[in-house]
Amino acid sequence: MTTVRIWFEKRGEASYISLLDLQRVMQRVIKRSGVPVWYTLGFNPHIYMTFTCPLPLGQESLCESVDVKTEAEHQDFEQWKTALNAAMPTGITVFKVEPVQMKATLIGFADYEVRCPASFQPALDSYNALPSAQVQKKTKRGFKSIELKEYMPVLDYKTEEDGLVFAVRLPASGDLNLNPSLLAGFLQQQYEVPACEVAILRTALWTAENQPFI
Amino acid sequence: MFDPKLKEALSRVQKPGRYTGGEPGSVYKDKDKVDVRFAFCFPDTYEVGMSFLGEKILYELLNAHENWWCERAFMPWIDMKAEMERLQLPLYTMESKDPLTAFDAVGFTLQYELSYTNILAMLDLAGIPFYSKDRDGSWPLIVAGGPCACNSEPIADFFDVIQLGEGEQQLPSICAEIEKGKKEGIGREELLLRIARIPGVYIPVFYDVTYCEDGRIKAITPNRPGVPAVVTKAIVKDLNEFAPPTNFVVPMVGAIQDRASIEVLRGCVRGCRFCQAGFLYRPMRQRDAGLLNRAARDLCANTGYEEISLSSLSTSDHSQLENILDDLLEWTPQQHVSLSLPSLRMDNFSQSMVEKTSRVRKSGLTFAPEGGTQRLRDVINKNLTWEEIENSCNIAFAEGYTSVKLYFMMGLPTETMEDIEGIAETAQRIVELYYKNPDKPKGKGVQVTISCACFVPKPHTPFQFVPQDSKETLEAKQKHLLASVHSKKIRVNYHDSRTSFLEAVFAKGDRRLAPVIVEAYKKGCYFDSWEEHFHYDTWLQTFEQLGVDPHFYANRFIELDEVTPWSHMDYGVTHEFLVREYNKALGAQTTPPCNRACHGCGANHLLGGPCFDYSKNLV
Repeated sequence: MTTVRIWFEKRGEASYISLLDLQRVMQRVIKRSGVPVWYTLGFNPHIYMTFTCPLPLGQESLCESVDVKTEAEHQDFEQWKTALNAAMPTGITVFKVEPVQMKATLIGFADYEVRCPASFQPALDSYNALPSAQVQKKTKRGFKSIELKEYMPVLDYKTEEDGLVFAVRLPASGDLNLNPSLLAGFLQQQYEVPACEVAILRTALWTAENQPFI
Repeated sequence: MFDPKLKEALSRVQKPGRYTGGEPGSVYKDKDKVDVRFAFCFPDTYEVGMSFLGEKILYELLNAHENWWCERAFMPWIDMKAEMERLQLPLYTMESKDPLTAFDAVGFTLQYELSYTNILAMLDLAGIPFYSKDRDGSWPLIVAGGPCACNSEPIADFFDVIQLGEGEQQLPSICAEIEKGKKEGIGREELLLRIARIPGVYIPVFYDVTYCEDGRIKAITPNRPGVPAVVTKAIVKDLNEFAPPTNFVVPMVGAIQDRASIEVLRGCVRGCRFCQAGFLYRPMRQRDAGLLNRAARDLCANTGYEEISLSSLSTSDHSQLENILDDLLEWTPQQHVSLSLPSLRMDNFSQSMVEKTSRVRKSGLTFAPEGGTQRLRDVINKNLTWEEIENSCNIAFAEGYTSVKLYFMMGLPTETMEDIEGIAETAQRIVELYYKNPDKPKGKGVQVTISCACFVPKPHTPFQFVPQDSKETLEAKQKHLLASVHSKKIRVNYHDSRTSFLEAVFAKGDRRLAPVIVEAYKKGCYFDSWEEHFHYDTWLQTFEQLGVDPHFYANRFIELDEVTPWSHMDYGVTHEFLVREYNKALGAQTTPPCNRACHGCGANHLLGGPCFDYSKNLV
C-alpha cells in the first residue's frame, strides 16, 4: 500500500470551506474522480484521508495537502491530477500528486503572505517600534502567552497598489502552531484596525531544519 | 475574487461557506451570451434550500438550455442579513454574485406558509418593491411555484406569475415566452397575457375578488378576455419522459438532506384525508425500474454521494420496488453507497425490504400512524391497523432496530381525549412488543419517540372545511398526552400550537392577508419557522392593528357550498369528491387506495384516461 500526497491550492470561494466540511467535500471529490483510493475496513467504510496541516477558515493557501492510500500499483499521478481537478469545487486546484516522502509531523514552519489596507500603515509602524507584543493563544489546555516579537520582530512591509504586503515565517509544528491571525488580532486590539480586512495566504511549508517540506 | 464588501461581510458571519457558491455541480455561464437569466430563490437558509429536490430538477432542466442560465439564491441567516444591510450589499445569486435585479425572472418556491415573510425579506434585500402593482416592466418578473401555490392568495399580490402544478414543462415554457418577449420588445401586460396561456399559470392581477358583507368571498372573476375562470394545474403525464436529475449541486456546508435522491413516483394512491400532498399531486405516476437504476447510478457517479434515497410520498407503493432494490444492490455495495427508503408504509413493509435497506447501513425506523385509535385512523383514512404496526415492528426488531419514531397528529376532526390516550397506548404496546421479541438485539433497550404535530386543515383536502382546534384545546391535549405516557422508554415531542395556528391562517387565507404579512415583516418578523425567531405576539398585534381577524381563517367552519379563496384553482380533484370524502370521514368510513379501484376523484381527467390499468392486479 502506498500513501499518496495530493497537493492543492485553496483560494477564493474555497477559502470559506472549513476543515470539517473539506473532509466531506474531499471524500466526494475523490469518489467522483474515480481514482483508486483505499477505503477503511469495518461496518462503515470510508476513504482513508488525512490533511497534513489544516488552515483556518477564510485564509487562502498555495500549499495544502491531503494524504490518501492506494493499493493499486504503477499509478499515473498526472492522470490523478486531471481527474481530481475535474471534480473539484471552484477555488481548489490540484498541482501535484506523488507518493509521500516526508511525514506530516516533520512540518516545522510555514510562510505566509499578509495583505492589509494602506490605512494599516501607522499600526504596522507602531508595532515595529514596540519592544514587546504579548498575546494570548487559545490552546487545548487553556491560554498560552506568546511573545509575537520573538517570531515577528519587524514587519518588513512593501506598499503596493492595493495596500500593504509583508511575509512572515511562523512555527507550524504540533507543539507550536502560530498563525498571522494572532498578529491581526493584536493590531485590532492595540490600534483599532479591523482584523477582518487582513488577508492571509499561506505560501510554503518547511521542516524544522528549514528544508522544503515535500 | 469577490467584491471587497462581500469579503468583509463573509469575514464577520457564521458559516460563510453558505454564501460563496462554487460547489461541485454548480453551473457557470457567460452572462453576456445568455438570453434568459433566472434566479431560483429558496426562502429559507442554504442548508434547508439545498435539501430541496425540486430546485435540483428545475436547475438542471433550465440550464440544459444553452442560452438560459438558472442560478440560486437563498435567504441569508440573521447575521449575514444584517451585514448585507449595513454594507448595502444587495441580495445576490451564488453563481454570478449578481444582484437579483439583474435577472429577467426571479422565482420563489412556496414550500411552507411560514416562509412568506422570508420572501419579503429577500425582495427587500434585493431592493425590489413587494407589490406587483408597484413594479413596471423594468423589474424582473417575480414568479412562484410549489405546493403553497394551491392557495397562494395571501401572497398573490406580490407575484406577477404563479405556477400551479408541476414545473418540468411549465417553467421552460415561461422562460421561452420571456426570451421571445425580450426579442420582440413587448411590454409587461402583453408578456403576462402570453404567459397566461401556458397550462397551470395563474396571473393574480387578472382576477378580481369580491366579498360578502360577512367577510366571506362572493366571487372570483377574471378581468381580461381569454383568461380562464379556473386555472387547472400543470401535470407531467408520463414521468418516464423526464428522467430524474443526474447532476446535483453538491453542498459543501452540510445541508439537512445531504445525499443523492431519486424520485421514484409522484402522487399517492392512499387518499389520507388530512394530507394535502396526497391530493395536490394526483394521479400517482411512477417511473420505470430501469430508468431509476440508470439515473441513480449516474447521480452517484456525478456527485460522489455515499448515500442514495428513494424518495416519494410513499415509496413502498411503487409496483416494482423489489426490482429496483435488487438492481441497485448489484452495484451500490461495491461503490460504497448505502440505500435509504424514507417513506415506507407499515402495511406493506416486508422482511426482504428491511434486509435490502439495512445491508449497508442501519438507521432508525420511522412510522406514521397519525392517529392513536383505529376509529380516528379510519376517520382520516390512514388505512393502518394495529396488526400491521405489530407486524412491522416485529420484523424491524428482529433485524436489529432498537429505535422507532412514531408520527402522530392532534386536533384531527372528531378527535376526543380517548384518541389522545390511544397515542400513548400505541407507543407503550410497541415497547412491550420489543421486550417480548425473542430475536431482539441482546443487551439493548428500546427507544420509542412520539412526535406529535398539530393538525392544520389544508385547501384541496376533504378537511379543508373544518376549523382548526383552538390553541387552548391543543395545549390541553398536549398536556393530556404527557400525562398518559408512563414509560421512560417513550419520549414525547410536540409542535408549538401557535406556529400551527399561523400556518392554518395562511393556508386558508385570502388576499386581505397581504398587508398583514408586509406589516409583520416590517415589524421584524422573518424566519418565522425558526422557533427562536418566531414572534407570535408581533403577529397578533399586527392582525389587530390592521383589523384582520385570524380566527376567521383558521377556526371557522367553511360551508360545503362556500366560495373558497382557492375555488379558482383546480388540482384535478372535484369539489364533489372532497365533500363525499368529508362525509365519509364523519362516519369513520374508509376509502381504499385508488390503484385497487377508482373512487372517481376526477384527477384522471388530467391524464385523459384511467390512472391505472385495473385489469392487472397491481397490489
